[in-house]
Amino acid sequence: MSPVPAAVVLASLAAVALIADRAWVVATIATALLLLCLKAPRGRRWVYLVGTLASALSVFLLSPLVSHVGTHVIWEGPKIPVIGYLDVTSEEIAAAGIQALRLAAVGFAFAAYALLLDLDRLLQAAGFARRSVLAAGLATRLVPTLERDAAGFVEALRGRGVEVEGVRGRARLLSPLVAGSLERALNLAEAMEARGFGRVGRTRAPSAPWTRLDRLALVAAVLLVAGAIWL
Amino acid sequence: MALAEVEHLTFWYPDAERPALSDVSLTLEPGEVVAVLGPSGSGKSTLLRALAGLVPHFHGGRFEGRVVVAGMDTRRFRPADLAGALAMLFQDPENQVVFGRVANEVALGLENVGTSPGQIWPRAHTALAEVGAERLAERRTETLSAGELQRVCLAAVLSLEPKLLILDEPTSQLDPQGAVEILDVACELGAAVLVSEQRPALPLERCSRVLFVDGGAITLDSPRDDALARLPDDYVPRKPRALGEVPASGETLCRVEDVTFAYDSRPVLEGRSLTLQRGEIVALTGPNGVGKTTLAKVAAGLLEPDSGSVERVGRCCYLSQDPGRYLVKERVEDEAALAVGGDLDRARRALAEVGMAGFENRHPGDLSSGERERLALASVLVAEPDVLILDEPTRGVDPPRKAELASQLRRDAQRRATLVVTHDLLFAGDVADRVVSLTATEHVHA
Repeated sequence: MSPVPAAVVLASLAAVALIADRAWVVATIATALLLLCLKAPRGRRWVYLVGTLASALSVFLLSPLVSHVGTHVIWEGPKIPVIGYLDVTSEEIAAAGIQALRLAAVGFAFAAYALLLDLDRLLQAAGFARRSVLAAGLATRLVPTLERDAAGFVEALRGRGVEVEGVRGRARLLSPLVAGSLERALNLAEAMEARGFGRVGRTRAPSAPWTRLDRLALVAAVLLVAGAIWL
Repeated sequence: MALAEVEHLTFWYPDAERPALSDVSLTLEPGEVVAVLGPSGSGKSTLLRALAGLVPHFHGGRFEGRVVVAGMDTRRFRPADLAGALAMLFQDPENQVVFGRVANEVALGLENVGTSPGQIWPRAHTALAEVGAERLAERRTETLSAGELQRVCLAAVLSLEPKLLILDEPTSQLDPQGAVEILDVACELGAAVLVSEQRPALPLERCSRVLFVDGGAITLDSPRDDALARLPDDYVPRKPRALGEVPASGETLCRVEDVTFAYDSRPVLEGRSLTLQRGEIVALTGPNGVGKTTLAKVAAGLLEPDSGSVERVGRCCYLSQDPGRYLVKERVEDEAALAVGGDLDRARRALAEVGMAGFENRHPGDLSSGERERLALASVLVAEPDVLILDEPTRGVDPPRKAELASQLRRDAQRRATLVVTHDLLFAGDVADRVVSLTATEHVHA
């Protein structure tokens, strides 16, 4: 499938997950997107999946404690200044569950976009704001690059017999990672300028024409969102 | 008419105390192949960047004199305007790649210089075919090996069909065969080629003229045959010393037996073995992608093999091929002391051993590439390891420093077992007692 219809389908699934109020619908979308993400190489996907699941779990665990909805109390906690009573109701758990599922669905949709789509072709398809789209593409590549740099620093330290452990150990890599990113950004900017980036009169390589599947996917995405709004 | 003219060029980088280039003048004719040699920090890269217009437009600084390329004065035309008439390939392919898909990466320059849309894909695919990388067109750039990526970057510049091709250490990440192929393609293009290299034999076999840059000035500008008689000894091509394959009879400090290893179910090592004895230096060679670094990491304990066994005696240290990974601390001596629990006395001694006395309080990020390489070496030598594993320690290192490194490793060889992973066969011949050559099809038992 071409990347533009694929991106539209992913965006529509994320939108439906945000609009729908039935838990099974959101759960189905989140599960489908998770299965899709599992098609990405193991080495690249884990950071997206762990990040998404950890965020969703945090929402599920914390939001019942700070919200005050419902009357069916299943746990009564102490009174905390500013927040109030830390009681948990069944309504709060249900609401937290659906919020967590929504967050998971949106996170997995972004993960599938970053891991599986040909972002270059998306860029080619954009007939306007090419610099912004290029910046977005480079930003998307920043995560795996930083991940690779961090692994390189950890390996160089382990090669000297220094183990990187705990939050503090990893935090000390932050400064060299940022410095390395800035150095890389300068080198990349220099290479891009040497290849004519920013010159007046640029042209565009022709894109492959859309297939019937691409058109069907686009129609399905529109119908999905319309259906979610209608219902 | 000359293709490029440099007239009395003097250039200072911002805040520099001395000029990087001092009163440099030269003329380049269409179609000539010129080798640019000289020690690290001599001004070679600055000269190449001045021809590409990146100096001063990209780097700033103070610029005196005049550079004209294909009729365009670089003071008036920006590097992007010069692109197409000239093209420049940089040392590190990782820092040149913009896009995720190979074909798009090659097409970027063509789009930028306004090539007719109907011509973009044919020219991109032709350039990929010229460098033997047509099969990579649909691959993701992050999945390519360093050698494959460098070919893609070369295709990206060749696709522009430039009149002047500037190559700044283009083969530093390539195995000897790959390096020969890349330079052959570049030199047969018909364009004028200016190539800077730290393995001088490669450009010297192909060039018609040699420039030797030292201290920011051109100290030699001669036809090749004349230059061969006048170049410093370290730069004169010679054959690598032949190495045996029989292990020494000493205490075994590292034994890797029949290991297999796969990245994401892609097998890299299958049934590889390696033995390292105290007192010997072993060179591990082989083509790009054959698993040299993986085997070295398995031997160092940085990777766990999927099967097989690894035994080590004493402390093992591994030097990464990227000196940029040794920039964790704020001061050079703290960085060097990391491996010895912050013992600054030992760190200072190790720094002095690699010629970095006086650098203790500098920030590692402010060091030049050559100084970073020395700091990285000091950061592992400080631990006085029993097993020392060096991964491509001569990448981007000039010939005199290579000779110095070889002599330093030889001097301390009896203290430890040393494994040197390298593409540099000349360095391997100078430093090693024996060689282990990995090939894609054979299982080597050393």
